[in-house]
Amino acid sequence: MTDGMMAIAILLPVVAGLLILAIHNYFARGVVVVATAVVLIANSLLFAAKGPLTYTPPAGFDWGTLISVLDYAILVLYLVLGLKLRNRLVLIFSATQIIPIVYFEFFMKAHVDLRPAFVVDHLAIVMTLIISIIGSLICVYAIRYMRDHEQHAHVDKSRQSRFLFWLVLFLGAMNGLVFANNLFWLYFFWEVTTLCSFMLISHDKTQIALENAARALWMNSTGGTAFILAIIYLYATQGGASALSVQNIIGGGMHSAAMLLPVALLCFTGCTKAAQMPFQSWLLGAMVAPTPVSALLHSSTMVKAGVYLVLRLAPAYAGTLVSTAIAIVGAFTFFGTSALAISQTTGKRVLAYSTIANLGLIIACAGINTPLSIAAAILLIIFHAISKGMLFLCAGTIEHQIWSREIEDMEGLASKAPLVTLITAVGMLSMFLPPFGMVLGKWIALEAAYKVPLAAVLFVLASALTIVFWTKWLGRLLQVVPKLGWPLEKLSPSYSVPLWTLFVGIFVVGFGIGPIYQYFIASATSDVIAGNSMIGSGWANIVLTGSSAVQTGAAVRGSFPVWALYLVLGVALFLPMLFFGLKPTQLRQVYLCGEQTGGTDTDEWCAECDIKTKFILGGYYFQATLGEKTLNPWVNSVAIFLLAIMIACGVISK
Amino acid sequence: MRGDLEMNQLILVIATIVLAPIVGGLLFGIDRRITARLQGRFGPPILQPFYDILKLLGKDSIAVSKMQFVWIYAYLVLMIASLLCLVLQSDFLVLVFLLGFAGVALVLGGFSTKSPYSHFGANRELLQILAYEPVLLLLAIAIYAQNGTFLISEIVAHEQPLLLPLWPLFIAVLYVLTIKMRKSPFDISTSHHAHQEIVKGITTEYSGPFLALYHLAEWYEIVLVLGVVVLFWANPLWIGLLIAFAAFLLELVVDNIAARMTARWMVRLSWSVGLTLGILNVAYLYIIKGVF
Repeated sequence: MTDGMMAIAILLPVVAGLLILAIHNYFARGVVVVATAVVLIANSLLFAAKGPLTYTPPAGFDWGTLISVLDYAILVLYLVLGLKLRNRLVLIFSATQIIPIVYFEFFMKAHVDLRPAFVVDHLAIVMTLIISIIGSLICVYAIRYMRDHEQHAHVDKSRQSRFLFWLVLFLGAMNGLVFANNLFWLYFFWEVTTLCSFMLISHDKTQIALENAARALWMNSTGGTAFILAIIYLYATQGGASALSVQNIIGGGMHSAAMLLPVALLCFTGCTKAAQMPFQSWLLGAMVAPTPVSALLHSSTMVKAGVYLVLRLAPAYAGTLVSTAIAIVGAFTFFGTSALAISQTTGKRVLAYSTIANLGLIIACAGINTPLSIAAAILLIIFHAISKGMLFLCAGTIEHQIWSREIEDMEGLASKAPLVTLITAVGMLSMFLPPFGMVLGKWIALEAAYKVPLAAVLFVLASALTIVFWTKWLGRLLQVVPKLGWPLEKLSPSYSVPLWTLFVGIFVVGFGIGPIYQYFIASATSDVIAGNSMIGSGWANIVLTGSSAVQTGAAVRGSFPVWALYLVLGVALFLPMLFFGLKPTQLRQVYLCGEQTGGTDTDEWCAECDIKTKFILGGYYFQATLGEKTLNPWVNSVAIFLLAIMIACGVISK
Repeated sequence: MRGDLEMNQLILVIATIVLAPIVGGLLFGIDRRITARLQGRFGPPILQPFYDILKLLGKDSIAVSKMQFVWIYAYLVLMIASLLCLVLQSDFLVLVFLLGFAGVALVLGGFSTKSPYSHFGANRELLQILAYEPVLLLLAIAIYAQNGTFLISEIVAHEQPLLLPLWPLFIAVLYVLTIKMRKSPFDISTSHHAHQEIVKGITTEYSGPFLALYHLAEWYEIVLVLGVVVLFWANPLWIGLLIAFAAFLLELVVDNIAARMTARWMVRLSWSVGLTLGILNVAYLYIIKGVF
C-alpha cells in the first residue's frame, strides 16, 4: 500500500508526463491530465487518512545511483544551457554545483544511503495536499489555457504537450521534495523543480522569456550551491551519512554550534527559492510565462518549497541569532515588496509582489519560531496557496478575455465579465480582509511576533500597504457606467471547474478553520516544534471546536467562533447583492458638472467646443515615490545586508 | 451561567445598535453648533442631523450603480461589527481589521462608478486608510506589550490606565481621530458642512436613502473612534469618557483653525511623526518590560 502511494505521488507524474508528451490530440491529452489530477488528489487524501509514515524504496534497485546520475545530467544540462544562452552567471553557478558534487562523491567517497529515505509527517501531508489538489487543478486549467494561448499567438507547431509535461512533472518533484528525508535526495528534487521552472518560464522562446528563465536558473543555482555546500559541510563535520538525515538535523541529535552554519546556508537556499529580497527579480521575471506557470510557481510549488525548507529546519536554529535574523529577513521582504506592489501597473506583477510579501511573512513566522508562529506559518501556507492559485487563474482568464495584463485595461471588467470579476474580487478580499484565512493567519502572526518586535513593526507597516494595492486594483475592476443587467460570460469547463473549486475552497477551508486546525495544523506544528500556547488568546475560539472551545470561551472574555465573522461578511456583502435590486428608472448618470451627454450607459461628456469625448479615469501608482527605480537600490541593499547577517550569525553563534 | 452571559451580550448588542447612532447624531449636532459659534454664526439646532437623515430617508432612491449600494451598506454593517467588537470587549486587532474592511468598502463604493469626483474621493480615502491603519495596528502591538494580549476585556480589567505608558501613541491616535472624523487638516476625501469643498468627494454620487446610510455609518464611526480613545483610561470609565469628550472638543477647535492639506502631506506626516511616536512607544514598553 505504502509502495503504491509513494509511487503514485512521485513517479506517476513522471509517467503521466511522458505519456502526455507522446499524445498530440487535444482531447486525449486533456483526458490524461484530468485522470492524473484525479488520481493525485485521491492519493493525497489517502496520505491524509493514513497519517504519518516512513518509507524506504525496496532493495533491488539502486535508486541512489539513479539519483546521482540524474543530478549530473541536470547540472550538465545547465552548463549546456549556459553556453547556449551565452549566460555567464548560469555557467558559473552550475559549475559551482558540479565541482562540489564531484568532490563530494569521488574525493570524499561519500556514501549517502539513508534509512528511512522518506519521512511523511504531518507537515509533509499538509504540503502534499496543497501540491496535489491545487497543483492538479492548475494543470486542468492549463489544458484549455494553452490551446487559447497558442491560438492567440498563431504558433505553427503546437508545443502544448511539452508544456503540460513539465507542469505535471513539477508535481512529482514537489511531492518528492516534501517527503525526502535524505538531504541529498532532497537536493535532487530541489534541482528538478529548478529545471521545471526554467523550462516553463522559457516556454514561449521569446528573447525576454529566455532571459528571465536564465535569471531564474542562476538565482536558484546560487541557492543550489549553498545547498550542496551545506551537505558537504554536514557530512564532513557531523559524522557521515547520518548527518544528512533531515530528521536527525531537526531532532537535535547532534545539536552543536557547528550545525548552525550549514543550517543558515540551507535557509539561504530556501530564501532564494522563495524569491525573498534581493532574489525577487526571478519570480517577477517568471511572469512572462503563460499564466498556469505563474499560478503553479506561486501557489503550490516552487516558492512553497523554499518556505517549506526554512520551516522544516526551524528546530535546528531555534533559540539562536540565526532565528531572529530569519524573522527580520522575512519581515523586511514582507514590507519592501508590499510597498513596491503599490507602484505596479501590471496585474500579474502585483500578484507576484504580493506572493513574495506573503512568503516573507511565512519565513518571518518560521524565524520567530514559537509554536504559535509555526502554526501561523502553516495556516498562511494553506490559505495563501488557495487564494493565490485562484487569483492567478483569474488573471489568466481575464487575460484571455481582454488580451491584456495591464490593470488600467481591466477597467470596468465587472460589466464585461461579471463572474470572473466576482471570483477575482473574492480572491482579492480573501488576501487581506476578515473573515478570510489570510487575515486570521496574520492575526496569529502578529500575536506571535511579540518575541521579535522589529518584525512586528514591519508586519504592521506591510499590512497597511497591502490594503492599498489590493483595494486600488479591485477598484479598477468595479468601475462601471450605470447600467442594469450585465450578461454573464461563458467559460470553458477547463477554466470554470478549477476556478469554482478554489472559490468554494476558500469558503470551506476558511469556515472550517477549526477542524482544519485541529486535524492538520496542530499536528503539523508539533512536528516542527514542541509545546502549545493556544489557550488564552482572542482567536482561540476560532481555531478550537467542541468542548475545548466551550472551556476557552468561558475563560477568555471576548473570544468568538469564526462563524461570527462569516455572518458579518454575509450580512454586509452577500445579502444586499442577492436581495437588492434597482429599476431602470432609478438609475442616473454620474455628476459631471452638467456636461454629460445624456443616457446612463455612456461615459461621454461635452469637452471643449462641445465635442463629445469619452472621459478616462486612471488609478494612482506613485511611481516617483514607490517605483522600482526609486526603491530597489535601497531595499535590495538592506536585504543583502540582512542575509549576510543571517549567515554571519550562523558562523559566530555558539 | 453561560446562558446569562449570552443573554447579557445580546442585550448589549441590541443596545449598542440602537443607542450608538443616537449618541453619534447628537455629537454631530453639537459639532455643528460649536463650529457655527466659532465661525460667528448661530448654528442649527442640536437635533438637526436627525432631521437631515429623516428627510434623506424620505427621498426617492436613485443610484448610479447597483454595486454602489452594496458597498455603502457593507460600510455601515462592518462599522457596526467593528463597534460591537469594542462593546463586547473582543480582540482589539479584530476591531482594527473590521474597521479596515469598512474603510475598504467605502473606497470600493467610490470606485464602483465611473465618476471623476467619486474617484478622487476614493483614492484619497485610500490614502487616509494608509495614514491611520499602521497607527492603530501599532497601538495594538503596544497594548499587547503592555497587557500580554490584544483582548479589550483585559484592557478594561486592568487597574493601570493605558494613557500613562502609551501617551506617545495617544497623541498619534488623536490625529487618527481627526482623519476618521473628517476634520481639517485631514478632511481629505470629503468634509463636513461644506468646509473648503465644492463637490462632496467620495460621497458625491450618493443621494437620498443611500446618503442617509453613509451618515448613519459615520455616526457609528464617531462613537467607535471615541470609544478607542476611552480605552486609554478604561478603568474607571468616566475618566475615559471625559478624555474622549475633551478630545472631541479639541478636534472641533483644530478643525476651525486649520486648513485642509493635501493627501500626500497627510501620509508623509503620519508615516514620519506618527509612526516614529508609535515605534518609540513600543520600544520603550519593551525596554521597561525587560524583554530585550
